[in-house]
Amino acid sequence: MTGHDGWAPESPELVRPYVITKGRGLPDEDDLSLITLVTASAEETRRPARLSPEEQSLLDLCSAGYLSVAEIAGHTRFPLGVVRILLASLMEGGHLTTRPPVARARLADKEILEEVLNGLRAKFG
Amino acid sequence: MTEYTGNPLLWVLLVALVAAAVLVGRQRRAARALRQQVQGLRDHYTELENDYGKSVQAAQERAEDETKTVLKSAMRTLQGLAAEQQLVLSRLQSKYGDSALLQDLLEIDHTNSQFGRRAQSIAVLCDGWLGGRRDTASVYDVVRSAQGRIRHFRRVDILSQVDFGITSRAVEPVALALAELLDNATSYSSPDTVVEINIRTVPKGICVVVDDAGVGMSDEERARADKLLATERASGVAGLGNPPQFGFAVIGLLCERFGFEVSVDSSSPYGGVRAVVLLPHEMLTAMPEKKTPAPAARPAARPVPDGGPEAAPAASRTDDGLPRRRRKRPMAIVPGSSSTPRPAGRSDSEQAQVMGAFQRGTRSGRGAEPENAENADRTSSTSGASSEGHEVS
Repeated sequence: MTGHDGWAPESPELVRPYVITKGRGLPDEDDLSLITLVTASAEETRRPARLSPEEQSLLDLCSAGYLSVAEIAGHTRFPLGVVRILLASLMEGGHLTTRPPVARARLADKEILEEVLNGLRAKFG
Repeated sequence: MTEYTGNPLLWVLLVALVAAAVLVGRQRRAARALRQQVQGLRDHYTELENDYGKSVQAAQERAEDETKTVLKSAMRTLQGLAAEQQLVLSRLQSKYGDSALLQDLLEIDHTNSQFGRRAQSIAVLCDGWLGGRRDTASVYDVVRSAQGRIRHFRRVDILSQVDFGITSRAVEPVALALAELLDNATSYSSPDTVVEINIRTVPKGICVVVDDAGVGMSDEERARADKLLATERASGVAGLGNPPQFGFAVIGLLCERFGFEVSVDSSSPYGGVRAVVLLPHEMLTAMPEKKTPAPAARPAARPVPDGGPEAAPAASRTDDGLPRRRRKRPMAIVPGSSSTPRPAGRSDSEQAQVMGAFQRGTRSGRGAEPENAENADRTSSTSGASSEGHEVS
């Protein structure tokens, strides 16, 4: 066993992640993916008193504007899943709102392009 | 006269008289001898009894000491393994943080914490190792740490927070004692009830109040608890009953060695038990500095708060920017050495800060309503975090 020599091994964290998440399960991947954008609710000006320090700091992070879930997780020391659970519970409480990631622009239909090309050729070609 | 001497009846009477006198004398002597013999035997008997009692006690003590030593080292190993496993789990949780595996890892982590706590409790009863040294932590975090060490942690609800920290020496014992209380509270109440925790500042320090909605304690159980918590300390694992009841024995020992108080003599407003942990001023300190992650990436974004004296060592880094490893002492709970108070734990300014906060709190409480102690407690914990504190009175 280590520890007898005075150099104790790095002691584990005092508060374990499952206590911080209050034992809640992981949220649905569709609801909160890595690239979902999150921000603090506009109407939520007064800070609810009964949030854990971790939830408070997440709210602080999100109060400036939209941030992606991955980005928020990067700013904390917790595993990504734990951050997702916390964000989901904040959303449930109405403290956070999400925006789905910006949809990729749809490519124009190939047939239309061909028709336009043909039209242009017919007119100027 | 002569007619009497001729009377054979007189002679017979005389002879009988003499014979009786001789007989009585002899009997008396015999009785005295017997009495002496009996006294001698009695002395001998008590001597033997004492010797027997002493040797039995000595044998018992020896056996108990041996049990303690064996259990102590066995628990030391188990505690070490549990701590090691916890570190492995932490690593795994960061590694697989974005997969569904995390849920299972958190479950294992929970089981592992309970297992570590059991070993820790037995170690306390055997004067063993309490665990690795901890940094100063906020009262709230210590309570949450205790919450995480019991099976039904989801049923525990912390209703208020205070802006105080607990000195590094007291973190582990307070967390363990609270975990034992919470374990009792959740085990002896129905699964659909909530165990409430309120943290309050009081003139003597900080109170952590644990209320359950269970069936309460019988007079017999209450007497046992009072005995273990106040007057008679348990020693070793003997006399814990079957199935063994560790809780109050462990709490009593921790209270005595680390100088805080636990009482369970009132009943909760929900009909169960109300347990109150009183942490004296010596155990309290300013709020510890928050651990800030990734400081290299955003150095300016995280101003260093004017934290307690513990802030300095946490920030110490090598020239390469790596965190400097500090020498950590394992914490033993040998009764003699640990019971000495350490008055030089806080700097003057911090001491003043703590005392000032208490003074302000108690003054504002008294100013509001001097008669009502409950109200004084409430107003003294004025920090925004506890404004929604649950009132149970």
